[in-house]
Amino acid sequence: MLRVLVSLIVSEIVVSEGEYRLLRLMAEKGFSRGSLGDASRLLGVDRSSLASLFMLLRDKGVVRVQEEVRILCSLTDRGLYALSRGLPEEVLVDYLSSKGGTASVAEVAGALGDYASIALGQARKKGLIEIMGGSVRLVRDPLVARGIIRPLRDALEACYKLGSMEPDLFRELKERGLTEEVKERELVVELVEDPASLLERVRVEASRLTSRMLKDGSWRMYRFRAYNVDAEPPRVQAARLHFLQEFIEVVRDVMKELGFKEVRGPIVELELFNFDMLFQAQDHPAREIHDSLWVKAEPPDVVKLYGDLVERVARVHEAGWRYKWNPAIASKLMLRSQTTAVSARTLTLKPRPPIRFFTLGRVYRHDVVDASHLPEFHQLDGIEGDYSYSFRNLLGTLREICGRLGLEVKFKPGYFPFTEPSVEGYVRLPNGRWLELFGAGLLRPEVLEMAGVDYPVGAWGFGIERLAAAYYGISDIRVLYTGDVEYIRGFRVKV
Amino acid sequence: MSTLEDLGLRCSVVPVLRFRVERLYELLKREPRELSDILFRLKCESEESEGYLEVEVNADRPDMFMGEGLARAVKGILGAEVGWLKPKVVDSGFKLIVEDVPTRPYIVAAVVYNVNIDSNYYLEELIQFQEKLHEGLGRRRRKAAIGLHDADKIPGRTLRYAMAPVDVVFKPLGYTNPVEAREVLERDVKGVEYGWIARLGDLHPFIFSDDEIITMPPVLNSDITRLEVGTRSIFIDVTSTDLQVAEAVLNILVSNLAERPGAYVGAVDVIAPWGGVYPRLEPKTIKLMSGDVNRVLGTSLNVIELEGILKRMRYNVRVEGETLEVEVPPYRVDVEGVVDVAEDVAIAIGYEELNPTLWQPGMRGGYHELSRLSRSVRLILVGLGFTEVMRLTLTSPQLLEVLGLREEALEVLNPVQVEYSVLRPAMVASLLNLLTENRHSPKPVKVFEIGPIVAKVGGEIVEDERVGLAVMDDEVSYEDIQAPVYYMLKALGVNFAVKPSVTPYTINGRTGEIVVGGVKLGILGEVRPEVLERLKLEYPVAVAEISLGKLLESLKELGRE
Repeated sequence: MLRVLVSLIVSEIVVSEGEYRLLRLMAEKGFSRGSLGDASRLLGVDRSSLASLFMLLRDKGVVRVQEEVRILCSLTDRGLYALSRGLPEEVLVDYLSSKGGTASVAEVAGALGDYASIALGQARKKGLIEIMGGSVRLVRDPLVARGIIRPLRDALEACYKLGSMEPDLFRELKERGLTEEVKERELVVELVEDPASLLERVRVEASRLTSRMLKDGSWRMYRFRAYNVDAEPPRVQAARLHFLQEFIEVVRDVMKELGFKEVRGPIVELELFNFDMLFQAQDHPAREIHDSLWVKAEPPDVVKLYGDLVERVARVHEAGWRYKWNPAIASKLMLRSQTTAVSARTLTLKPRPPIRFFTLGRVYRHDVVDASHLPEFHQLDGIEGDYSYSFRNLLGTLREICGRLGLEVKFKPGYFPFTEPSVEGYVRLPNGRWLELFGAGLLRPEVLEMAGVDYPVGAWGFGIERLAAAYYGISDIRVLYTGDVEYIRGFRVKV
Repeated sequence: MSTLEDLGLRCSVVPVLRFRVERLYELLKREPRELSDILFRLKCESEESEGYLEVEVNADRPDMFMGEGLARAVKGILGAEVGWLKPKVVDSGFKLIVEDVPTRPYIVAAVVYNVNIDSNYYLEELIQFQEKLHEGLGRRRRKAAIGLHDADKIPGRTLRYAMAPVDVVFKPLGYTNPVEAREVLERDVKGVEYGWIARLGDLHPFIFSDDEIITMPPVLNSDITRLEVGTRSIFIDVTSTDLQVAEAVLNILVSNLAERPGAYVGAVDVIAPWGGVYPRLEPKTIKLMSGDVNRVLGTSLNVIELEGILKRMRYNVRVEGETLEVEVPPYRVDVEGVVDVAEDVAIAIGYEELNPTLWQPGMRGGYHELSRLSRSVRLILVGLGFTEVMRLTLTSPQLLEVLGLREEALEVLNPVQVEYSVLRPAMVASLLNLLTENRHSPKPVKVFEIGPIVAKVGGEIVEDERVGLAVMDDEVSYEDIQAPVYYMLKALGVNFAVKPSVTPYTINGRTGEIVVGGVKLGILGEVRPEVLERLKLEYPVAVAEISLGKLLESLKELGRE
């Protein structure tokens, strides 16, 4: 009963592939106990591999390993000589027997050479011969004599072959200088139970689950080695989307969700749309070279391209600014300084209200690159309007857009040449500071008249990069356009 | 940096005015920190600094460029002083004879008595006022310029505005000795900066008083009429290329100076074909209904409420039934019509107090088709192991030279830095430039960018949205760029073919052209070693570039079939 219980409690043992193969081999060859040397010979595995495997098995309690100090005998050179020629007394007996049982000492000396004196001494000690008056006589029957010598001869052979023999015989051989003692430390291993039943309890440790194991079902005999889950993994080469573009897409999404349709316009823009349509006087300092960038290109003729529009623009400018409006100035090509140019273009298409449009694109500035300035950046521009649209609606939309970007907004009256009333929006950053973010307002009647639109339109714009930099906690705006791929790859994701 | 710069509206760079804290206290009996909230409501951001309050005053309120003007607006919005009272005007006795000055035909003038420059702070503020008006309305003196004179120092009652030869001699303000006007024009800082504006050959405009030059507009005054602490009355002259602007500037100046306790105005008879008695402090009248303002603001104010509000904004108002006759003070040159008045109503109420309402027209929003395509492309490429990068379209001509793309690039006429003086005609320029910063990054470096390019194609300026890819590694082959490009195009459902092609920056025989329906969509290839060497890139690179614009077109074609 107790034995049965014990065998149930006994757990499985997990071993490596090598140990498992050894156990299999031991089962096959029927080796349960023996010395390392025996095992090596029997199993055909080298001693040192066996030693390490047996040690592992010992740690798992599969095998008992004891070190036995065995005293072995080893034939000396004389012993080897005796083995091949025969023991001296053996040679004497054979000689005397061939001589009819008697020979002179001189004859014996001549025939046995260096063996003679030992042979005579040993043979007499063993009562095999009689030496009288210079002659040696065999006193026993040769067969009987050989029989008496035999055990010693066997011992010599045993020593040679097995390294072990009877202790008495060993003593005699040792005294005669034919053998010497050699201490051998030998491991003796013993399986705790028979190999076959042991194999049933044993499972092999594997580092990986492979397809082969699954295919042939051998996964059952494996147990998978534990990992050091605390350790660092190898570096992974990940690819990432750009953090500024991600921010831009967030802004795009907010506008789309509010019902705005995205429009796009050219980067290389006519002053007509960038300035004139926004009621910016042609003699205003803003249109000089200090603020914007112009391009080396043949200006087209805006009168030809936009006849009706140009007529309205000229009329409105001349009434408002009291100068002669010059189409050549409006025809000049520049890199747009504001995305409001796109809004202006959109309005000239006289879309039917209610309208909601936005654009998000690059604008250009005559600015030296430094920590808070770039010559090129992104701007969002939005317009909306309808016949009953009012300033309160505009403020409402602005608050909503900021709210959806997670920003609290504060309004301040402002001034822009193309809006009235005008408003500036300040947003509160995560660190508590207020950032002046956008300008907005109802488009002036002059602008609407130039566009040919007869309903109120609210417009606003803000720079993306400054908001993105604040959002990501980046203080140097140039970092947004970094060339360092590792920086982009390692950028902390903002959830 | 203000938002306005963000919006490219450097034009209305907000002028920053410095007001002495003592002056503001004298005018408003308030400490600076108490004023900042009120000023914020009046469009002004302010900050105290070293005994001054630095106030950003928008370009549309030049009347607030001086302490008295600021105080007038503050007292109004607080309800302490409402409406506007025209100052007392007497005949100053001055006559201003205007002769032919072709380069600057118009001049108006007025005197303000009892201004009393009682401190250096006031004088400082007066000069600041003059300079800011010069910058803004005066368009850096090109359009209008102001002369301020100690009225009591003017030699005679008759003044003459005329051209005279530049060898005429006078003692300019601050000089120890008289000099020829020519010398001022050639040597004096102001002469160099402003002398060219009104000069006509060897002639320049002057104002004479009894044959003495009192000023050389728009350059500088003479020392005779120098202002100083102790000056009682000020003679103002405004010369201009536009009479309306001149009048406006004069009105603003006179209105502000006349705010001084005990001050009153002396009219000047300007004798010219277009002339008359100045200043013309006539308010403009705007007739409107409450509905006009309510429509703009989305409010529902009645006539009485509006009357009260407008008076606080210093308008004079006469109510007749449902109509309001709004009298705009002459210093409010920014008020033209209903929308301007409506803004003032909104300011008086307070924008936050307007209670914004959410307009919900229930419209369906949408992305531009290029934005949609870009999103899909981005996600495919990041899935292929390419990291997205973003670069400027402005780039350097030297880089384009190395790539053989210089000829197609559009140049900037007035660049700030040569590194940003041309526009990239191909994405590959930005990518290779970026790779030179990643020599030591772990390899392979696989990057892509989606963005605009601008190129000159056969005399036309062409803009295109492109996607560019690049792979840089110890060893790179055509296949390393070919495989991802093919995958991407197939994933997008494009039916394409590739034929051998040539570019100035890829190896001949290792360059392909992607064609769809006979249209070239893009290229791919291994970059030439001589290009890499000139860029000091010691790793081979393969690149590809595809026009998203053309890709979109071909996808639409497919959709139609």
